[in-house]
Amino acid sequence: MTISAERPTDVVASISAPPPSAASSWTQRPGWLSQHLGTAIVGAVLGYVLGHWFGNFVSSSYPYIANSGQNAIADALGLSVGVLGWLLGIGALNYPLAKMIGREGGEEPAVEGWSKYFRYSLDHKTVGMQYIVGVLLFMFTGGLLAMAIRTELLNPTTHVFSPDTYIKIVSEHGTIMMMMATSIIVGPLGNYLVPLMIGARRMAFPRIEAFSFWIFVAGYMVIFSALPFGGFPTGWTGYAPLQTQAGPGMVSYLLGFAVIGLGMMAAGFNIAVTIINYRAPGMTWSRLPIFVWSILATAALLTLATPVLFAGGLFGLLDKTIQTSFYVTEHGGSSYLWQNLFWFFGHPEVYIMALPGFGIVGEIMPVFTRKPLFAYKVAAAGMIGVALLSFFVWQHHLFQSGINPDMRPLFMLTTELISIPTGFIFLVGMGTLYKAKIRYEVPMLFCMALFFNFLIGGVTGVFLSDVPVNVTVHGGFFVLSHFHYTIMGGLLFAFMAGLYFWLPKMTGRMMNSRIGKWHFWTMFIFFNLTFFPMFVIGLLGQPRRVFTYASNLQGLNDFSSVSAFLLGISFLIFFANLMWSMFISPVKAPANPWDSLGLEWQTANPVPPYNFERIPVIMTDPYRYSEPGAPAFADMGDGLTQSSSTTSSDQA
Amino acid sequence: MAAENSKGEVNDLRRMTMIWVVLSVVADLLFWFLVGPHVPPGRMTETAVNNQRTFNVLLVIALPVLIGVWVYLGYAATMWSAKREGVAESVGGEGARTNRKVQVWWIALTSVIVIFLAGYGTFAVIAEHGSGGGEGPNPVWSPSGATQAETAALSGSSSWTPGHVLVVQVIGQQWKFTYRYPSFGGFESDKLVLPVNTEIAFNVTSLDVIHSFWAYQLSVKADANPQLNNVAYTETKHTGNFTVRCSELCGLWHGSMYNFGKVVSSTDFMNWASTTQSANAANTANLPPFAWTYVPDANGASGGWYPDGTVTPYSTVETYGSKTPAS
Amino acid sequence: MTETFDKSRGPSETPEEREFELRAQIGSIWSGGRLFIGMYTFLLASLVFSYFYLRSSNNGMEWRPHNQHAPLYYGWSIYLLTVAAALLAIYGQRRLRKGDVADFQVAGWTGVVCGLVALFLQIWEFQKLSFYPGASGYSSTFIGFAVMNIMSLVIGTYWLETTLARSLRLRRELGGDKPELSMAATAQEFRAGVASMAYFWGFLAIGGALLTAMFYVM
Repeated sequence: MTISAERPTDVVASISAPPPSAASSWTQRPGWLSQHLGTAIVGAVLGYVLGHWFGNFVSSSYPYIANSGQNAIADALGLSVGVLGWLLGIGALNYPLAKMIGREGGEEPAVEGWSKYFRYSLDHKTVGMQYIVGVLLFMFTGGLLAMAIRTELLNPTTHVFSPDTYIKIVSEHGTIMMMMATSIIVGPLGNYLVPLMIGARRMAFPRIEAFSFWIFVAGYMVIFSALPFGGFPTGWTGYAPLQTQAGPGMVSYLLGFAVIGLGMMAAGFNIAVTIINYRAPGMTWSRLPIFVWSILATAALLTLATPVLFAGGLFGLLDKTIQTSFYVTEHGGSSYLWQNLFWFFGHPEVYIMALPGFGIVGEIMPVFTRKPLFAYKVAAAGMIGVALLSFFVWQHHLFQSGINPDMRPLFMLTTELISIPTGFIFLVGMGTLYKAKIRYEVPMLFCMALFFNFLIGGVTGVFLSDVPVNVTVHGGFFVLSHFHYTIMGGLLFAFMAGLYFWLPKMTGRMMNSRIGKWHFWTMFIFFNLTFFPMFVIGLLGQPRRVFTYASNLQGLNDFSSVSAFLLGISFLIFFANLMWSMFISPVKAPANPWDSLGLEWQTANPVPPYNFERIPVIMTDPYRYSEPGAPAFADMGDGLTQSSSTTSSDQA
Repeated sequence: MAAENSKGEVNDLRRMTMIWVVLSVVADLLFWFLVGPHVPPGRMTETAVNNQRTFNVLLVIALPVLIGVWVYLGYAATMWSAKREGVAESVGGEGARTNRKVQVWWIALTSVIVIFLAGYGTFAVIAEHGSGGGEGPNPVWSPSGATQAETAALSGSSSWTPGHVLVVQVIGQQWKFTYRYPSFGGFESDKLVLPVNTEIAFNVTSLDVIHSFWAYQLSVKADANPQLNNVAYTETKHTGNFTVRCSELCGLWHGSMYNFGKVVSSTDFMNWASTTQSANAANTANLPPFAWTYVPDANGASGGWYPDGTVTPYSTVETYGSKTPAS
Repeated sequence: MTETFDKSRGPSETPEEREFELRAQIGSIWSGGRLFIGMYTFLLASLVFSYFYLRSSNNGMEWRPHNQHAPLYYGWSIYLLTVAAALLAIYGQRRLRKGDVADFQVAGWTGVVCGLVALFLQIWEFQKLSFYPGASGYSSTFIGFAVMNIMSLVIGTYWLETTLARSLRLRRELGGDKPELSMAATAQEFRAGVASMAYFWGFLAIGGALLTAMFYVM
């Protein structure tokens, strides 16, 4: 260890332990009486009932509201207090409340085994695992809704659903998927891996991290509660005045965004601060693994863009409940205000959904090519560039909206400029592949597919940013296909790559490679077969979110639908693989199955509660593959300095 | 990739380049001559022609990019696979880590392409008077004569003769489009009929929520906002039928919010317009005076009701063209 | 606030590691405090943007009909109380750095009272408004501002209160009668937290100047 101590060690040794905390309180007792998912659900239900009653109570003197049968105040208060009850039940508020009487964080009860996954865990590894289940729950819910959409679109005139049900499904699908996608990599892999990759023993703010997960689940339930409330008809974009016109389901949407927004801010905040402060000694900025760079850029976007969404949701809620007129043009508001606020958040959000994917491919490709990451600095610069530029492009969503056209060339320029830093990622990927001996394990296949898919998504993005072409493609299936190519073809493929790659580390069990390849090929083929026709459908004039369409487009739509069903089956294959490999027939994973040099593979497996026996000291760049005589990435302090040259043998 | 110039390296790059050039040229030519002329939105109007051309130019540039990356990925995937016999071991080290020349070229090339595209797009959108997109209440790129025609329309002194700008108002409401013709007494119709070889100024507004007026074959798209006049221009070039769809989610029957219009000869249009004007005269008398926006009253927030009594444009700031405000 | 390291379950720590952890924790509090201000800036900026956007749009001439004004006395009182709380927090933080815990506590509790009174006034002001929430663009943004200001005051006052409550329990580490002990890890962390809190209050005071001017004066 070479951490320079500035003070004599005896001073450090005299640090007094924090005063004993509320260790005797009942919340600290492990067991079914303590706080866990069950108490959270009880708290949420009680909170909802209480809030709803209170909402009715306070508005009972306004006959206009009380007799309307749609008391948005009661709905909003019910859901808000429900969320509060949920947090209280899971134990998220123990610490903030204890602080008010001056108590510092007590030690959490040492819960081992399965039950820790149902608790407010302060271990970033547990939170990461919780997030995996959370985002998969989101994803499968949204996926089922997608199947319903494609079923409806099988025929232009014969309908499976009523238009009312259909628009609910479309809106719910969009909202759930978008909120899922903001967390799908940052949540599970970001939380789990970032401390391991930077050589930290912990997160900077583990309680904020745990909060981010549990409020994410609460947000999921709030958004989902729109369905029993009658749904909302606005799509995930929630444009006013349709938003103002909509029924009580809209409250769930607005509050859901605000609640999940809190979770996104919390997650990004904690991760950004951790990366800045907890990097192991020697881990300079130029030695940071590229995945950590991508998560840092994402965290910056999460923390800075999401407050705008929160504000937008808050204003919308005020409109719905106490009848302000932020988005009501007739009363001095403006529907453009929502569009501006929403997209000011919404466009950085798009990159929240792209950057972690870039990070994952940047991290995984060197392992399977046995080559250093090509142009590391360009990759990091690309991510920062994308993050910065993403704040200056939002008006390209409003090209046809009737806002002042003066700025249109400017936003066309900024939008197209963003493809330069995005292009950096392709340079990095292609440079890494150059003259490599590529091993095709399942994660590598997903990485290659990402480049294939994201290229189509990126290039069509340039079409969309071009104002003249935008006239044809705006608001149609073309744009729909474009963002499915970037988010699903990019982010989701990267997530799958990450799962196949890191699950052995996280669970100690290998994913079955044979089923994995089936999963990959079905997903890759049917993803493209589902969404590529949609470019054509869009160009031929089909608007988004319709449930009736021109009869001459039935062939293409049916093709897309059938492919979508097969794509759904591909996800079932994934699910089967997950169940098979994790629970039914687990195969113990070797300590470093892919022969990676990454720091996360150097620590013991399963990862000890504090990650590293000694805080590692970083010696060199992270990707010195196939470089005989290169020093080891890190000195693990265990006397077993591993040289990268010993790991260069090909095990494929 | 660095200094050493082994034979294999040259061969790899040369092969890729050859494949890329051949495929790109073939794809570009095939696209430009076979597919390009049929690319939506067709050639019915000036904006359609220009937007089709812009799309084709973009795709001709995009195809080599796509093919370049795909050829590279495909080549790498097959030739450098560990499964292949005799593939050399990967070589690490400084040479594999960076290559200044490649990086600079890549960045320069992408920047040039991107800036060219932005410049081309800007040129196109300005030269084509907004390319058929909604320019809001105060358009900055208007064709000549449009401002006068719009001012005349609002002041009620509008008339139309062939060769001049025709002002048409598009009113969206849940869930249909209707059209008003200020040059013909301000009658309202659910049919959109346009004269050929005429500059059309669409004034798009809504009575309830946001819709989007998408005249597909005309290559016109403008959001219909309540309380706002969104202006879009196009010039009709050929006669024929076209589809109008709503392309902004507007509630339950968004998918069913479409109708059809046609572009006809000037004489046919005049006949249709004057016939409809007189046929609808009784209805027109009950309509509110022509204005850029309409405010439904409290009972008609989404039902297409108009207020009782005399109605003036709701807001003076919403009138057309701050450059030449209508009195 | 970062949490304390669980020493019962953790691995053995070398003194250097403990020092490293301590510095990382202090750094986290420092950068976390700044990042939080950054986030909060974006939140308030959304409100400022809404204000000026609606003001310049003036849709339907309904930005501010009938010269609507929120009660000025309330506005000034709330703002001055915010500034007072901020000054007290900053003053207390400086005294604490010098080792004077008592000064910090007196200043701090006074600041808490200022914050609570401001909070009360901000809520009570709803009773005194001459317009209803949806009366105009201005009235809407004003309600938005009031809600956000309630949020700011709750956060600021809560944060100040927790540091004070903590300081009561940390008396020994914070120095006072034994200044040499103030180098203890808990004391260093605590002071970093107090500094972040004082910064946040300063931010509220400065941001509040703009918001107060927008909503009460302009």
